[in-house]
Amino acid sequence: MTFLAFFFIVVSLVSFVAAQLILKRAMEATKSAGFRNAQFVWKVIGGVILMTISFFLTLGLLQRFDLSYLYPFQGLSVIFITLMAAVVLKEKLSVRLTIGTLLISAGIVLVSLS
Amino acid sequence: MGTGHRPVATDSPQFENWLRRFDRALEKRMQDRPSGFGNPWLQLALSVACVLVSEFLLKRGATQVADIGSAWSWTGVNGLASPLVWWAILLIVASFISWLYVLRYIPITIAFPLSRVVDILVPLGCWIFLGELISPLRWCGIALVVIGLALVAKPIAQIEERL
Repeated sequence: MTFLAFFFIVVSLVSFVAAQLILKRAMEATKSAGFRNAQFVWKVIGGVILMTISFFLTLGLLQRFDLSYLYPFQGLSVIFITLMAAVVLKEKLSVRLTIGTLLISAGIVLVSLS
Repeated sequence: MGTGHRPVATDSPQFENWLRRFDRALEKRMQDRPSGFGNPWLQLALSVACVLVSEFLLKRGATQVADIGSAWSWTGVNGLASPLVWWAILLIVASFISWLYVLRYIPITIAFPLSRVVDILVPLGCWIFLGELISPLRWCGIALVVIGLALVAKPIAQIEERL
């Protein structure tokens, strides 16, 4: 794997994780303020832009690598999103959730390695 | 509050208290969720189904129009030349709308790990529908994901039972 490929995989992963956290914030905001508020609109637009960047980078990577090769990196997104949701969104993280998340990630990596 | 079924035995009252607070916060969140088609769990399943089909379409579409020589192909934009990619985009938009709805009601620490059930549905789909073989290592991976999903989903199932 070249440096360029690694760079695009990381950018794709980071933009995907950031998009999920921003979208979660946006949807949380609708509970108190409804859908007609600038905060919600801007956050959704930001989330969609980041998801689009991640989507096209993944499409570019798929043209060069097998889906099974790229999948372990998608597995990492489970760990990153769960961790970042606990840190940034202050969501509660139980021991059971943590173990479950780690097992899911390890399973995804094994599935793609085989 | 159903903490008797916890997999982690602990003598620490502080830790027990913390677990109880986690359960209570989750239960409160679940109480005001809609039912029927608006049920966030149904929407989560729909979102996963759309992603599953789109993964196959994307891979096939991307390889159909692959042009590795072009520097622009790193951006993936040339993939838009394939109609399969457009169908995949349509499904991704549908799954995205369902996903936004899910995010409104379910904590992302639970919803996102559960959504990754798609990672075992892809190889299982290849096995069932395309007759592809699954190696022992891949079965181990699938088993790990299933155990992980069960661990994440169990507290939810207990809370749903109580509601």
